[in-house]
Amino acid sequence: MTHTNFYEKIALILSFLILNNYLLLSLNFSLALIKINFIIFLFTVLAFYFKNFSENPFLKIFFLCIIFISLGTATFEWDARSIWLFHAKVMFYKDSVLLLDDSYKFTHIEYPNLAPAFASALGILLGYWNEVFPKIAFSLMFLPPLILIFSFFKDVRYLIFLSIVFFTVGKFLFNGWADGLVAIYFGISAFLMYLLFIIDLNFYRNRLIFYLLAFCFFASLTLIKNEGFALLLVLFITTFLIKLYKRELKKDILKLLFLSFSFLPIIFWKFFCYSKGIGNDYINTNILLNLLPRLEDLNNYKTISYFLFLNEKFLFTLTFFFVSFWIKFDKELFSFIFIITLMYILILFVIYLSTPYDFYWQLNSSAARVIRALCFLLAFFGLYNLRIIK
Amino acid sequence: MTARKTKILFLIICTLQLFYLFNFRSGFQYEIIKDPFNKNSGISYAVSPEVIESRDILNKYKTTHFNLSKKLKNDAYLYQRLLEFNYPIRINQSSKLVFFSINENISEKCEVIETGKYLKLTQC
Repeated sequence: MTHTNFYEKIALILSFLILNNYLLLSLNFSLALIKINFIIFLFTVLAFYFKNFSENPFLKIFFLCIIFISLGTATFEWDARSIWLFHAKVMFYKDSVLLLDDSYKFTHIEYPNLAPAFASALGILLGYWNEVFPKIAFSLMFLPPLILIFSFFKDVRYLIFLSIVFFTVGKFLFNGWADGLVAIYFGISAFLMYLLFIIDLNFYRNRLIFYLLAFCFFASLTLIKNEGFALLLVLFITTFLIKLYKRELKKDILKLLFLSFSFLPIIFWKFFCYSKGIGNDYINTNILLNLLPRLEDLNNYKTISYFLFLNEKFLFTLTFFFVSFWIKFDKELFSFIFIITLMYILILFVIYLSTPYDFYWQLNSSAARVIRALCFLLAFFGLYNLRIIK
Repeated sequence: MTARKTKILFLIICTLQLFYLFNFRSGFQYEIIKDPFNKNSGISYAVSPEVIESRDILNKYKTTHFNLSKKLKNDAYLYQRLLEFNYPIRINQSSKLVFFSINENISEKCEVIETGKYLKLTQC
């Protein structure tokens, strides 16, 4: 087994175990199974660390620093406490978030729970709960995509990749929020989609492990946060359009169909929420009532643009992306990323224009976080585009 | 040689980024890292003293439910933190154990059973 192969396998095992943990908790399997699943995860991480410690030392050392910071920080920010780690705590006590009454509505009961389920498994393994350690499970969830990328970027390139992760994801690596996970899983899902369907390279298309990785990453993306669903949909629509344009849709339709099954877990979750009468704050019958009056006012578009685009991380990564493609123009890759970016920005405009909350407050509290997914995407593909430049 | 220099440069950049996150963006506390797996680790940094006091009182009376006065329900911070911090002890609108803030007047139907520094627990 080559080392490249080793990292792909480790990434697949870890991402599968994260999804498996969600399944075990959702279907009320015994605590022993949940503990075993988490122990296997930890042993796999140890195998990654000690198989050849000197290979990829940067990720190993920097990741330990992330865990150290996380263990020295209390969970004090609102989203982390009142949404993600509260859901995790409910699952730790073997309750269902769907059974919480209206008093707990502020915790966004309908949000998907992949990361909270993993944090609750850590609590179950240790046998108690506190305000500090459960959130390291969120940090551990960054490992599968970060390990997978080592198959593609080595040495200095991997260091630049880590620098991009620190810059775009920042404190979301350790503070118990889910936004950083969405950004990384989205970027790597886009990358897998590119390798499997856009680029003309049979090396990836003929390897089952990449389809399995894509399936696990896609399903994880949708189960981390609601926008993960929108982001994956954007990836599928973009791929579909490009394939249609290149008249290659027939060739790949079955593979795309197989990967579209990754939507099933989130569809089931939304169905359960709907069956319990738990709705979504954004997508509901009031969407047009909020959207239509705001559509005609140009100032609304200006305000959204101000919050989304006049952001130092977005401007920096966008510049890096354009410089990279100015140095070496890969039309196929550029079109793929450009369409994804435009479609997601369009979705963000619709979402913000239809918010049921105060328009300014909503933008002020979330735009800088939401745009990180695009920041990581642009920077990652800007770096990938330069892979052959010596 | 150039590759080696680039590597050192990005190693320094990554280290500086991590130091920036640690020092300016994390809320890291040495007191927490000394014992992060303790059951009460970090609580004073996570929630306000009123919320911690509510849990101590509820644990003392070994109850599984509680309710809040109208004033506490209208305070978004306290309402949300009291609910999520005290879980699995749940809020129940029909519970007779009702928390009031220390300066609040309680109704005649309620009897104070515990007075803390910030809150009082009543039986209504």
